[in-house]
Amino acid sequence: MVKILYLLDCYPQLYCPGQLNMYFSKKAFVWCMLHSCYSSLVLFFIPWGAIQDTVRDDGRDIADYQSFASLAQTCLLVVVSAQLCLDTYYWTTVNHFFVWGSLAAYFAITFTMYSNGMFLIFTSIFPFIGTARNSLNQPNAWLTMFLTSLLCVLPVVALRFILMQIRPTINDRVRYKMQKDTLPAPPPRRPVRRVSTRRSGYAFSHSQGYGALVTSERFLFKRPIKSRLAFSVQPDGPLARNLPQVFRPIAEELHESQSSKS
Amino acid sequence: MLASSYKDEDGHISVSGSGAAAAAGGGSLRNKKPENTAFKQQRLPAWQPILTAGTVLPAFFIIGLIFIPIGIGLYVTSNNIKEIEIDYTGVDMSSPCFNCSQNFSWNSTKSCTCSIPFQLDQPYESNVFMYYGLSNFYQNHRRYVKSRDDSQLNGNEESLRSPSKECEPYARHDNKPIAPCGAIANSMFNDTLELFYNDPNGTKVQVPLTATEIAWWTDKHVKFRNPGGEGSDLAAAFQGTTKPVNWRRPVYELDSDPNNNGFINEDFIVWMRTAALPTFRKLYRIIQRRNNLLPTLPRGNYTLEVVYNYPVRSFEGRKRMILSTISWMGGKNPFLGIAYITVGSICFLLGIVLLIIHHKYGNRNNGADVSH
Repeated sequence: MVKILYLLDCYPQLYCPGQLNMYFSKKAFVWCMLHSCYSSLVLFFIPWGAIQDTVRDDGRDIADYQSFASLAQTCLLVVVSAQLCLDTYYWTTVNHFFVWGSLAAYFAITFTMYSNGMFLIFTSIFPFIGTARNSLNQPNAWLTMFLTSLLCVLPVVALRFILMQIRPTINDRVRYKMQKDTLPAPPPRRPVRRVSTRRSGYAFSHSQGYGALVTSERFLFKRPIKSRLAFSVQPDGPLARNLPQVFRPIAEELHESQSSKS
Repeated sequence: MLASSYKDEDGHISVSGSGAAAAAGGGSLRNKKPENTAFKQQRLPAWQPILTAGTVLPAFFIIGLIFIPIGIGLYVTSNNIKEIEIDYTGVDMSSPCFNCSQNFSWNSTKSCTCSIPFQLDQPYESNVFMYYGLSNFYQNHRRYVKSRDDSQLNGNEESLRSPSKECEPYARHDNKPIAPCGAIANSMFNDTLELFYNDPNGTKVQVPLTATEIAWWTDKHVKFRNPGGEGSDLAAAFQGTTKPVNWRRPVYELDSDPNNNGFINEDFIVWMRTAALPTFRKLYRIIQRRNNLLPTLPRGNYTLEVVYNYPVRSFEGRKRMILSTISWMGGKNPFLGIAYITVGSICFLLGIVLLIIHHKYGNRNNGADVSH
């Protein structure tokens, strides 16, 4: 987080994707939907093809409703975890713990739910007894999971790589530069107090944000200083003209507010 | 929730508004500053993967090179499995079972038999598995799947006398509870299939079929239990209940072997494990291998004798008998092999395409035009 904040200080062009609505637009939504449709088709039809007319390695059933459901669900968990791993940019120990932990928790919960004990206590609630044990010990099932996860993840990787090569975004360039060079020293902290909580958060810098709502009398105990709304869009301001904005140093503002009140 | 106190980046807690006064007495607030550990200041060592050509391209090539041999192995294994399917529905007039399929009624006590001759071109070694297959039979219909009572099938006495509401309308008949209740049990497959080998010198030898070890161990020993406990008299345990409407015999007369009678009858258990797809096969019998010198089913002429009890013509279904050998990946299913080969080749080709793209356009990613 600290790193992100001073990256934004060093490369203010990183604000541009947010202000241009690149990641939260109708086009992004359509891409997301296409990707989901593709993944859903893969997640159903690959297990379907794999268990059709086939049996376990000791000849008994594997093409039953419960095994098919269990297999499709496990494929889904693996695909979702793989996609999550692709989208995680900073891998700390916490990330590792939660990603692998969630997969482990899924298997633990599945085997618990499908165990003898649960069935004997709550018979009608847990009818899937024995399914996980009998279907997940088949090499067929693991090969299917491997195929499904790669088939869902590889197009994403390929597309991202192609876009990075042909049309790198500012994020890609900065990240590449960060990896190549060492990071510059963070700028010295100015020991000033900020009245920043009276402003809306930086997250919605591409639009007006919720400054008016947040600084209205419903939320604050003091009268808001309406003229201080730094993120309201002025029609001929620098943001509308697509130029970087210049902000006044905050220390001057605090002086002014204190002098105006006293 | 926005309060009038805030925390700035140094971790100071201060109170705005009457800021000056609070800062002076703020010595007591200073101990709320978070510790300067890597975890709390978000300075944990992190690995930052980005998609460079050095990682993505080798990954694609390696995946392609791994998948293609796996696919070939799966395909070859699947092709080595021997399988024969014999449809005995009796749709054509020339089929031996045509008469049986026409004259069907639920009330007839006389069962219809038909014989179908077939030929095995190759000998079948090791254990051979005999399946019955049904087509156009939707065992995955939601109302059908729910129509069972797992407590009753687990031997619970209370559920035996009063089956659950999910079994309706197959829960009671003649004012007595049905055991086992539900539509799944009611539609149990009840054809009898027997296999005969026609010796070259003319005699018909029956092929021995084993009816045990065809259901999952967990099903047979945990999920399905007879009421009244182990070793009790089943006819007495099921006193006061009646058989399902479409069955010819009650559940305690399914087999003479007491370990395979009642709810723990393996044919019944196999049927109750509902199939996922409308065309499915279920294990019927196992032909054990004899010894390692002779094949289990030698090459030659065989006869399938069917006691035709199960009607499928009314819903355009088909019945068939399947004889199959087994490998480490299960039955004959070339899908995974073909899928692996296809994905492996596509991966490899994509790797080549990405290599070309990287070669032509790859230098745009230099951060030269990213200025401070």
